Amino acid sequence: MNLTLNINGTAHSVDIVEGELLLDVLRRLGFTSVREGCGVGACGSCTVLVDGHSVSSCLTLSSRCAGTEIQTSEGLGKDNPVVRAFVAEGALQCGYCIPGFVMMATELLSENLHPDEKDVADHLEGNICRCGTYPEIVKAVLAAASGIPK
Amino acid sequence: MTSEVFSGESYDGNAVGQSWRRANSESKVLGTFRYTADLPVPKCLYLGVHRASQPHASIVNIDAEGAMAIPGVVKVITGADLYDALGEKMLTGPAFSDQPPIAWQRVRYVGEPVAVVLATDLATARAAADEIYVEYQDMAPVLDIDAALEGHDYVHDELRPSVVFQDLRQLMGKRNTNINYEYNLNRGDSEHAHKTAATTVNGEFWTPPTSHVAIELFSASAWTEETHLELVSTTQTPSYVRQAIATMLNLRLNQVRVRTLGLGGSFGSKMYDRLEPLVAAIAWTQKLPVRLELTREETFVLTTRHGVAVSSRMSADSDGNIVAATADVRYDTGAYADIGPRIAAKSGMVACGPYRIENAKIRSRCIYTNKPSAGPFRGFGVPQVTWSHESLIDDLARELGEDPAGFRKRNLLREGDVAPIGTVMHSADFIGCLDAVTEAIGWNEPLERREGDWKWGRGVAVGIKAVLTPTVSNAVLQLNQDASATLLISTVEMGQGSDTIMAQIVADVLNLGPERVRVVNPDTDVTPYDTITAGSRSTYHTGNAVKMAAETMRDKLIEIAAKQMGVSPSDCKLTAGGVLSSSSQRLISLEDLIMSEFGAAGTTMTAEANFTTEWIPYDKETGQSTKITEHWFAGAAAAELAVDARTGRIRIRHLAVAGDVGRAINPALVKQQLIGGAIMGMGHALFDEIVFDNGQMVNGTLLDYQLPSIKDMPEKLTPIIVENPHRTGPFGAKGVGETGLIPIAPAIANAVRDAIGIRITTLPLTPERVLTALANQGK
Repeated sequence: MNLTLNINGTAHSVDIVEGELLLDVLRRLGFTSVREGCGVGACGSCTVLVDGHSVSSCLTLSSRCAGTEIQTSEGLGKDNPVVRAFVAEGALQCGYCIPGFVMMATELLSENLHPDEKDVADHLEGNICRCGTYPEIVKAVLAAASGIPK
Repeated sequence: MTSEVFSGESYDGNAVGQSWRRANSESKVLGTFRYTADLPVPKCLYLGVHRASQPHASIVNIDAEGAMAIPGVVKVITGADLYDALGEKMLTGPAFSDQPPIAWQRVRYVGEPVAVVLATDLATARAAADEIYVEYQDMAPVLDIDAALEGHDYVHDELRPSVVFQDLRQLMGKRNTNINYEYNLNRGDSEHAHKTAATTVNGEFWTPPTSHVAIELFSASAWTEETHLELVSTTQTPSYVRQAIATMLNLRLNQVRVRTLGLGGSFGSKMYDRLEPLVAAIAWTQKLPVRLELTREETFVLTTRHGVAVSSRMSADSDGNIVAATADVRYDTGAYADIGPRIAAKSGMVACGPYRIENAKIRSRCIYTNKPSAGPFRGFGVPQVTWSHESLIDDLARELGEDPAGFRKRNLLREGDVAPIGTVMHSADFIGCLDAVTEAIGWNEPLERREGDWKWGRGVAVGIKAVLTPTVSNAVLQLNQDASATLLISTVEMGQGSDTIMAQIVADVLNLGPERVRVVNPDTDVTPYDTITAGSRSTYHTGNAVKMAAETMRDKLIEIAAKQMGVSPSDCKLTAGGVLSSSSQRLISLEDLIMSEFGAAGTTMTAEANFTTEWIPYDKETGQSTKITEHWFAGAAAAELAVDARTGRIRIRHLAVAGDVGRAINPALVKQQLIGGAIMGMGHALFDEIVFDNGQMVNGTLLDYQLPSIKDMPEKLTPIIVENPHRTGPFGAKGVGETGLIPIAPAIANAVRDAIGIRITTLPLTPERVLTALANQGK
């Protein structure tokens, strides 16, 4: 079937097979920030925002996303405050899981302009960074939040 | 949670010692960075793997009719097909040639490939793999180390050492054993010393198998081009893979090209023979382009960390000096040896710890069982023996009524001491590391022991590891006419930061700023041989090759400039602005220098270097060597934590970790490695464990396998860099990839021992295990 997906503000017309997951469609379209780490919604590395809410794209049917606004980390751009904070704080090692954290942080900051350390940890708990970059990730999210006017 | 690591970037002409921003930071955060699976490859057939349901069985029949009937399925390949094409050469492995890419005649673990479907798309390949039916004749499985040592049933009929390691050759054809390697260390008379000692402690220690869980899953593609084979694979050992595949397919080395981009983590998993023999064998024998992508569940059974049992004993005299130590180490290596025999030797050998011990005895064995193959994992088998010696020495200190830190300090190896293995110590500051971590957590300050149901305690541990020796590294440096540099090395960037620090080394020697040095992705057609990217060896070994290549380039530039200016080379030096003649104060920029030398824009100069290390092989009887290793890694950790006596939960208030890195090329990245290792070590202490039931892995998914999350962080995590320059390290530097992990689990367990008075000898310290220990204490 043919589907129109709005991704990072651009409409993409794409042929999908029945039951095709959002993860696979996004990767097929070249959005390489979206990555399978577990296939069961347990690691967070395939996280995207659908209408502003985080979803595990490995568990999401692409056909259900027609008519929604899908955001991936590529779409944030290098001047985005969260992206800039992650770069500035060195909140990455191998980098593979980081876009998932960036999307969760983006969602958090859309709901809570001034989170504290515990809010950050609560919200990012479902994402795994095996390199162990958690301390820098928390600092980056707090730094991004501090740039938001009170 | 607090920590300080990243200090941003600045350039004052000295690149080494600066916290340069990690290479490709922005694209990694945005997600546009290309990992290996993103590298464009020709249109491939996808592979779906049918896996064994039995731990040990002979294959009676494979029925692939149902699979072949599915539209999109092109072919089904079995081990017998590969055997017909390749014969025994299809059996590969870094230490033993014992592993077929697809099981042949017999399966040896649940999850072993039995048949492989080639289909036009991934979903069809995987669905068709489920439609294959295999008839087995069960054989008695060898499910654990004890059963393996009993010796009724054998995982392999005979041992098949590979040609790589000379000292394994004597094992060829040995039958009726599950032990594929035994290392022995004998120094002094440990039996007598134990008997006459004032105090002796014993322990039985167990560390379970664990999974690496690099978030990036494995993938590999292979296809043929005219006369050669192309391979794109998630591997941290491209040079090894090229050799292994060339041997398997009887090709010249220039007929195999292996490429990899950055890896999304590895931790030892993406090493040696993983997917490559399978895709290469199929692509070459079938002349078809193929691609294999693993699921997380398949990744769990691909490779694991060794489960290790250690029976150990340590004795001290009445003055509190350790006089004897004994360790019997058993590595469960699973169905295929992988690098297990080397792990048993080179990690088993430090099973008595980094202490002055005149009477030491170690037996370390690598043992086959019918489980997924265990291989290298950050620490290369050392964390498992550290679990034993650091728990045991804590008990010994307590028996003697001594402070566990002070007792260690008195007995630790110092510069110039001879280690129990017979090698003189250099640049391994255990005491500096120990002092740093104990000071960080306030070891000597008073501690409120009870707080409701929470009981507080402190613990400390040290770690020692030898760097892999001998090894070979090469570097080729190209300096372009515009004064930018292109560095060709086969070191694989997988999060450890090698692309960043190798660029810093070049920049420092040639006085180039950030962004002027680019490190090329490993490509065996382009980048020179490097033994492996593993074992924390790259900074020292490849770093040395890179530094030597850069110095050769600097000398060439000075020579050319001197000629052009008509002065002596000794009058010239390389500065940030170019080559400066001291006498004439003339300055030639590198751009002008190379332009006038070759008379064209865009020209290049090339320099290369090789750095090879040597060792003196250990004596077969005594295990002794006066040069067992090129250098040592030294680290320490200290923890302050509380145990909830009601729930068995552990809450870490402060975890401090220190490593002697010789010299930090990039302090921020060193601290990230120390922290990352500590967090992984904390996982091994509290969470990580693969559980088997009759050979079947029961928790091999990320829903069931527990890893440290952001909410499991210690309230405070302090990384500490200790610098004791190594006399032959590049700028004095050594690696740090494993140092932060090694002492963590025993440091935490020693703190638990301090808090609740119980020595737990089995990892991980789950709430259930702690509660059971508390309940038994009351009895």
